[in-house]
Amino acid sequence: MSYRVIGIVVLAAILAAVPSIASEYWVALLTQVLIFGLLALSADLLLGHAGLFSLCHAAFFAVSAYTVAILQTRYGVTTIPAAVAGLVAGTLLAAVFASAVRTRGVYFILITLAFGYIVWGVAHRWASFTGGDNGVTNVPPPSLGGLQIVTKAHYYYFVLVVLAICLLGYRILTTSPFGLALRGIKSSESRMRSLGYRVGAHLYVAFIISGFYASLAGVLYIYYNRFVNPVAAGFPISVEAILMAIIGGTGTILGPFIGSGIILVLRNWVSGFFHYYTAVLGLIFIATVLWAPNGVMGLIRSWRSGNRGEGA
Amino acid sequence: MTIAIEVDNVSKQFAGLRAVDSVSLSIPQGERRVLLGPNGAGKTTLFHCISGTHQPTSGRIVMFGKDISNVSENARTALGMGRTFQISNVCTDLTVMENLLLGMLGTTSQKWSMFRPVTSDKELIGKAVASLERVGLQGRENEEVKYLSYGERRQLELALALSSNPRVLLLDEPCAGLSPSERTHFSKLVSGLSREITLLMIEHDIDVALALADKVTVLHRGRLIFDGLPDEVQKNADVKEVYFGRL
Repeated sequence: MSYRVIGIVVLAAILAAVPSIASEYWVALLTQVLIFGLLALSADLLLGHAGLFSLCHAAFFAVSAYTVAILQTRYGVTTIPAAVAGLVAGTLLAAVFASAVRTRGVYFILITLAFGYIVWGVAHRWASFTGGDNGVTNVPPPSLGGLQIVTKAHYYYFVLVVLAICLLGYRILTTSPFGLALRGIKSSESRMRSLGYRVGAHLYVAFIISGFYASLAGVLYIYYNRFVNPVAAGFPISVEAILMAIIGGTGTILGPFIGSGIILVLRNWVSGFFHYYTAVLGLIFIATVLWAPNGVMGLIRSWRSGNRGEGA
Repeated sequence: MTIAIEVDNVSKQFAGLRAVDSVSLSIPQGERRVLLGPNGAGKTTLFHCISGTHQPTSGRIVMFGKDISNVSENARTALGMGRTFQISNVCTDLTVMENLLLGMLGTTSQKWSMFRPVTSDKELIGKAVASLERVGLQGRENEEVKYLSYGERRQLELALALSSNPRVLLLDEPCAGLSPSERTHFSKLVSGLSREITLLMIEHDIDVALALADKVTVLHRGRLIFDGLPDEVQKNADVKEVYFGRL
C-alpha cells in the first residue's frame, strides 16, 4: 500500500516536472497521450470491468468536441458553458447508444460499430452544420473566469489537474459496490441475476458513465487541438482507444495511459522515417495478444507475483 | 399452513420436447422437499421455471401466495428466493470475499452505491466473514475463486445462495461431484440450516436425499409420478419401474 502511495507521488512529481525539462514538442505529445489515455480509460470501463467491447467511443468523443467547437466559434459561447454543453451532449448520446447493452458478444461489437458510423457519417456529410471534411476550425483557447490558458505547458497542467480529479472518481467508482457488480457481471451474468441484480440496468448505467468520460476526453481534445474534423469520430479512433486499453492492460487505471503512450509515441516517432508505421502497431498488437494478454500492467503484475504466469 | 412454493400445472416445451409436463406441487413453509428422477426427467428445467431462469410455457408459479410467473429472476431473489446451480456458477475472476459481498448487496439498494469503496463498510465485511465460516470457508476470503477446489466452490455456491437470507432455497445437486467425506460434510451443512427456510433440492445420492427430505417428489419424462414420504418412495411400484425397469 505504501509502495502505491510512493509510486503516485513520484509519478506526479515527474509529470509536474515535464514542462521544465522537456521541449514543447514532448509536452504537447504528452498532453495528447493523457487525453487519448482518458478516452481509452472510458472504453475500458466497459471492456475491463463489465466485459463489453465497444467500438463507438469516438462518437461521444467527437460529439462533445464538435459541440464545444460549434458553440464557441459560431455562437460565441464562453469556455465553461460550452464545455458543460459538450459533456451533456456526449453523455446524452451515450444514453441513447447504451441501448446496445441489450446485446452481447459479437452483436454488441457490431451494433456499437454501426452507431459509431452513424455519427461519423453525420460529421462527414452534414457539411452545412459540421463543416464536412474541413470540420470546425479556429476554436479559441480555453478561458476560465479571467484566466486564459494559452501556452502548451499551461494547458498540459490544466489537463493534469482535470485528470487527477477524474481518476480519483474513477478509482472510487470501480471499487464501489457498483464497480464490483460490473466485474461480477463480466464474470458470470447468470449468477448475478440469481443474486438479485438487474444486469441490464447496471450495464446501461455503466455505458452512460463510460460515455461521460469519453465526452470529457472530447472536451480536453478540442481545446488541445483547436479544431475538429470527422477523423475524430472515425472508426480508427474507437479501435485505437480499445487497443490502447488492451496493450496497457484492461481493468486497470494506469494501463490505458501506458497503452496510449506506447501507441502515440511510436506513431510520432516511427512515422518520421517509416511510411508503414501502422504495420509496426499491428506487430505490437499481435505481440501483446501472444505474450502479454493482460497488457503491460499484466506483465508487471506477473513479474511481481513471481511465477503465477497467465500467458496464453 | 402457509404454502411457500406452489407449482400450478407448469409445462415447459423446448421445440419438440416437453421437458416438464403439467407438473403441480405445493411445498409448505419450512418443508424440505427432495426432487428425484432419472437423467432427463425435467428436474433442472422445473427448477429453472421456479427460479425464473426459464419462463414456463404454461402454468403458474406462486410464492407465499403471490403469483410470480411473470416476475424476473432477479426480482424473485429480492422476494426471498435463493438458488445454487448444478454446475458451479460463481464469479471465478473475483475473490471469495467479493463474491459474497455481491451476494449480500444484491437484494439491497446499496448495490447502486458508486461513491465509496465497498471495503469501507466494515459491518458488511464482518457479516461476510461470518457466513464464510458457516460454510467452512474461513481464511479463504482473499483467494481468487479460480484457485479454489471443486468442493470449495460448492461451499461458496451455498454461501452465495444463503447470502440474501432467502426464505426459499433451491439446491440443484449440491453434492454432485463431491467425495464421500465432502458429501457428509455438505449434508450436515444443509441439515443444519434454519427450519424457517423452505428447501427444494435435487439430489441423486439417495442416502443424502432421504436423510434430508421431509417429502419426496419423483419426476419421470417431465411428469410427476410420485409425491409422498421418504419411507414410501422406495416401495412405490411406479418409482421402482422407472429406476429398475419392470420387475
